[in-house]
Amino acid sequence: MNEDKPSPSSDFQGLIKPPSFFGLRVDRQSLIKHFFTGSAAVTILTLFLIMYSLLKEGTGFLPTYQFELKVYRQAGLEFCDFIQKPLTENTALLSKLNRAVNADTATLTQKAQARRDALFLAKGRIEEKTARLREAVTEALETAGTPPEKLAQARQALTEANATAVAEEAFPDVYNAEERRQIATDLTAMQPDAAEPPAILKTLSAEFTEQDRIAKEKYAGFLEAVEAFEEATEPIVELHDGIAELAKATKEAAVQQHMAEDAKAQLLAAAESAKTPEAKANFLKEAEATSLEAIDYKGKIEPIVAKLPEYEAMIPPYVAAIKAAMEKVPQKGDTKEATALINEVRKQLPKHLTHAEQSPALMKAWQWDKPIPLIQALTAFLFGGDWITNSSWQDFYGVVPLLTGSLLIAVIALVIALPLSVAAAIYTNQFATPREQELIKPFIEFIQAIPSVVLGFIGISVVGDLIKETSNIPWLQWIPGFPVQERLNMFNAGLLLALMAIPTMFSLAEDAIQNVPRAFSEASEALGATKLQTVFRVIFPASLSGVFAAMLLGLGRIVGETMVVLLVAGNRIAIPDFSDGIGTVFQPAHTLTGIIAQELGEVSKGSSHWQALFMVGILLFSISLFINFVSRKVVKRFQLPKI
Amino acid sequence: MVTAEPPQKAVEVLKTTETKSVEAPEAAPTGETMISVRNMDFNYGTKRALHGINMEIPSRQVTAFIGPSGCGKSTLLRCFNRINDRIAGAHISGGQVVIKGKNIYDADVDTTQLRRQVGMVFQKYNPFPKSIYENVVYGLRINGVKKKSELDEACEYALKAAALWDECKDRLKANAFGLSGGQMQRLCIARAVAVKPDVLLMDEPCSALDPIATLKVEELIVDLKKDYTVVIVTHNMQQARRVAELTAFMYLGELIEFAETDQIFGNPQQKKTEDYVRGQFS
Repeated sequence: MNEDKPSPSSDFQGLIKPPSFFGLRVDRQSLIKHFFTGSAAVTILTLFLIMYSLLKEGTGFLPTYQFELKVYRQAGLEFCDFIQKPLTENTALLSKLNRAVNADTATLTQKAQARRDALFLAKGRIEEKTARLREAVTEALETAGTPPEKLAQARQALTEANATAVAEEAFPDVYNAEERRQIATDLTAMQPDAAEPPAILKTLSAEFTEQDRIAKEKYAGFLEAVEAFEEATEPIVELHDGIAELAKATKEAAVQQHMAEDAKAQLLAAAESAKTPEAKANFLKEAEATSLEAIDYKGKIEPIVAKLPEYEAMIPPYVAAIKAAMEKVPQKGDTKEATALINEVRKQLPKHLTHAEQSPALMKAWQWDKPIPLIQALTAFLFGGDWITNSSWQDFYGVVPLLTGSLLIAVIALVIALPLSVAAAIYTNQFATPREQELIKPFIEFIQAIPSVVLGFIGISVVGDLIKETSNIPWLQWIPGFPVQERLNMFNAGLLLALMAIPTMFSLAEDAIQNVPRAFSEASEALGATKLQTVFRVIFPASLSGVFAAMLLGLGRIVGETMVVLLVAGNRIAIPDFSDGIGTVFQPAHTLTGIIAQELGEVSKGSSHWQALFMVGILLFSISLFINFVSRKVVKRFQLPKI
Repeated sequence: MVTAEPPQKAVEVLKTTETKSVEAPEAAPTGETMISVRNMDFNYGTKRALHGINMEIPSRQVTAFIGPSGCGKSTLLRCFNRINDRIAGAHISGGQVVIKGKNIYDADVDTTQLRRQVGMVFQKYNPFPKSIYENVVYGLRINGVKKKSELDEACEYALKAAALWDECKDRLKANAFGLSGGQMQRLCIARAVAVKPDVLLMDEPCSALDPIATLKVEELIVDLKKDYTVVIVTHNMQQARRVAELTAFMYLGELIEFAETDQIFGNPQQKKTEDYVRGQFS
């Protein structure tokens, strides 16, 4: 307190706002405050703009897809697909049988084939080496009036070069000494104008042909069965192709008409906004000229549906033929591969036959004019099992294969990353010396600095081969899914995504453990708990909510990651075959993020495909939003009470 | 340096050096030395916190440490269960702390075993984020006790000892954070008592409590001395007078005076003690 009382006027002076700031009638405090408000507002506004544009592009998808599905039905493509489905199954089974036959016949022909092919390759190499001299000989032959001694000289040079080249050849160990001599002589004597290939080559070729014939004879029953299998479908294929042609024509007409409608609407809109009456009249006239003939779906569908009794009549013979064919297929192949394939075919066959038998009933129940509600476009998107684009037949935008791929990869990554990052966090926070802490933390956080495309590169070049090689180690064959067929698969992608998620999860988990009050560990130790007991009974349980939040945020990062999965996951658009159990993880897959990155650049703006990709974007956005929402809830729900 | 005389008659140094069972409270008769501090120095890194402390703390009595902030009374208390070991650089730089005949700073001492026999209650109540029941039996669980009946028995015993049984016997499975501050502190005492330690160290146990809760805890402390040797650090001289038989006055890392409470407050032998208890300390 001042000694003497200040005068009231001077005291009041200090309370008055400074009159201006840079000449503006605002004070500095509120200006700064408004700046911060503005920054927050811009951020929120941007978020809303992103959501708006996503929704705008994406929601247009539903009516478009509804229309496409409607045409698919009304034009009769759906009807044709009832027939197509068993045919596709048949093709898959047939390819398996063919592989089985090849595996078996290869056992007989393999040796002869190797002998023949090795010689062919050697001949090619020798000819390449002596190409110049061969040309010289050819030239000498072609040029009229070449002195015979010069020709002989050229021939001699070629023969010598041949001999050297033959000597350089390392022939595989499939020929005996006699044959080797024969080969050397025959190949050395090769001249460009020789009428016939070297004699030994002819012998070996004949040997192969003979072996092939023997093999065919031995497996005649098998081959016949496979052939019968293939032939059984022929009448059905013919019928299908016939009606498919009709259906497709109707579809094209419908698409044309749809485009014409669009054009007309555009013309009319232009006419509305035309500046001069003449221009308006022109637009109107043009719109008038656009013919919009209604398509006679009913008339066009009739010849298609009329084929149904014919198809129905084909089914029993087909089933009988397939059954007969399967009887001729040997119970087991002569090789392991063939046996496995045959068993697979036998397992799938009953299902295939049921599908075939049921198809006429489904087709009878089918109605071309059954309407497709808008909601069906949404369900077809969300629960559709096919993502087929740029097809000449029909495009489908079913997101299930992508969703399962994304989720499965995320689960794999999480299963790998969670224990690693939590254990590392516990160690770093509770057991490591300060020196170790200083070392570990930056190193783990450094992983974040690796660009994801570089990680993808490593996944392709290193991890893929590593997985494949490891999976071929004989004593590891008990692991489900081994040996691995594809280098690029979900496990590979999951592994790399785990690596990407570890820094996030580690840092957050470490924070959560760090935030457990010291009082807890002190109390625990004062009761005689060892360090380990304290960590596992008090500190870790108390940090669980934080660890869970760390897991969810890591999951968010994993689900949203694009580059690695695009490069490494194998990009096969199919629902994984879960019959492999845990081994499913070694199958390739495609993902929600990957499909957008891969396809968005190539589709025309505004097409149904484009809109479908935006829908995928909305789905991704919703998943991320959901994960964030849950993690916030969890953190709030399990927050440690403040004491 | 001022020498602190042992308050009791000459106390014999205990002959036994063997470690004791959990049932130990009955082992040492009242008045015998439980903790014997011999010429102890204590450092935080290079900074000396305690100089040449000598004292004999008798069993089954309440001993209070008083003194201004930073005088080292908490540090001394925390030496008795070696919880100071948690602090990097903290170490005893001379002398011994002998509890029941064994120097607890010997290299072969298992600190976890020591802490099971020398329980501690902290300034700020710190129950675990678990149920009341799990809080109380925590000490037994980490000792490997699994039998339900044994745990139940210990829980009831400890809660009764901490005068908390009647208040929460019906909600043992409820989270400990639902209790009031005073109840939580008594729960912490119950938690410490559940393993039946020889000694109970209390570091300003009432400083975070309101007057009524404080009173309850004080009653409890007086009650506990029937079975336990209690050492309490307090800022509150009235509290020391109310609960303690013996009081030690510390100042700047030294033990100035250690005597019966009545003597410290009624007839202190040292000038500094007198100044402090009369409130004339600057």
